[in-house]
Amino acid sequence: MESTRVITEMILEEAKKTAKIIIQEAQKSVEETLENQRQRGVERANEAAKILLNKAESEAELYKLNSMANAKIEAKWVVLSKKETWTENVLNKAKDELKVLTKSKKYLPILEKLIKQAGVALGGKELEVLLNAYDSALPLKLNKLAKEIGEKTGSKTKLKLSKEKPEVMGGVIVRKAEGKVIMDNTFDDILRRREKELRSEIARILF
Amino acid sequence: MSVLIEAFKAIREKHLEAKKIVEEATAHAEKLRNEAEQKASRVYEEAYKTTLSRAEQTAIDLRRKAAKDGKHDLEKFLSNAKNEAKAIEAKARRNFRKAVDSVLDLILQ
Repeated sequence: MESTRVITEMILEEAKKTAKIIIQEAQKSVEETLENQRQRGVERANEAAKILLNKAESEAELYKLNSMANAKIEAKWVVLSKKETWTENVLNKAKDELKVLTKSKKYLPILEKLIKQAGVALGGKELEVLLNAYDSALPLKLNKLAKEIGEKTGSKTKLKLSKEKPEVMGGVIVRKAEGKVIMDNTFDDILRRREKELRSEIARILF
Repeated sequence: MSVLIEAFKAIREKHLEAKKIVEEATAHAEKLRNEAEQKASRVYEEAYKTTLSRAEQTAIDLRRKAAKDGKHDLEKFLSNAKNEAKAIEAKARRNFRKAVDSVLDLILQ
């Protein structure tokens, strides 16, 4: 009877051991399955994350470059607008002083010089002198000027005051009698014609 | 003889009992595996979402940093430009008369 008891206990003990191993293996398999799935999820997410981060990095870099470029433009604009303001201030002040000059005694010889320059540039002969209303009333010695132009050009010159009164600040427009060629020596046109040179000179002195 | 029969009977009973223990363990193991199969897709989803969410946050941080850096650059450049503009203004004030005279000379020459 004793040997039977030993055998039956052995059978049960063996069965319990086997059962324990079955459960342990199942648990190990479960852990492996779940870990594999977790790893798969991480790997797939990492692939998507890599694309996402590359895109975000590119966008951030582009944004930074754009904002840097915009910042430089904005900063440059601050400096340039200041320079432009002061250049305009100088030009406006010069215009104001030219207006004052046209009402002063110093103006008459300047106007005569401008008429003479224009007359010489046109080669003399029959010329028409166009002045604004105010300047037309000035005591200009047109005959004397005509003679001086004639001497310079070698052509007999006649200057005639036009009835046309251009709306200009000062200076003169001289026109050939046939009206095809003109020389504009008004302050307005000189300022327009030489604006680039004037701005460059202002910048050189101011800044 | 009856003792031998009793012994066989006892062994047979214990053998059946042992078989039952192993069958129950096998069934339990199968149940664990089935539950794991069901849980696996959730584990996959969670791992995927967690990892991707971290990357999304990093992407947001990158964009925020770029915006912050951009703002900083703008402030730095503007501050320098304002200082430069002040210096220009001071110099321009000093040389203003000279520039006006030079313009008048050029026009009247």
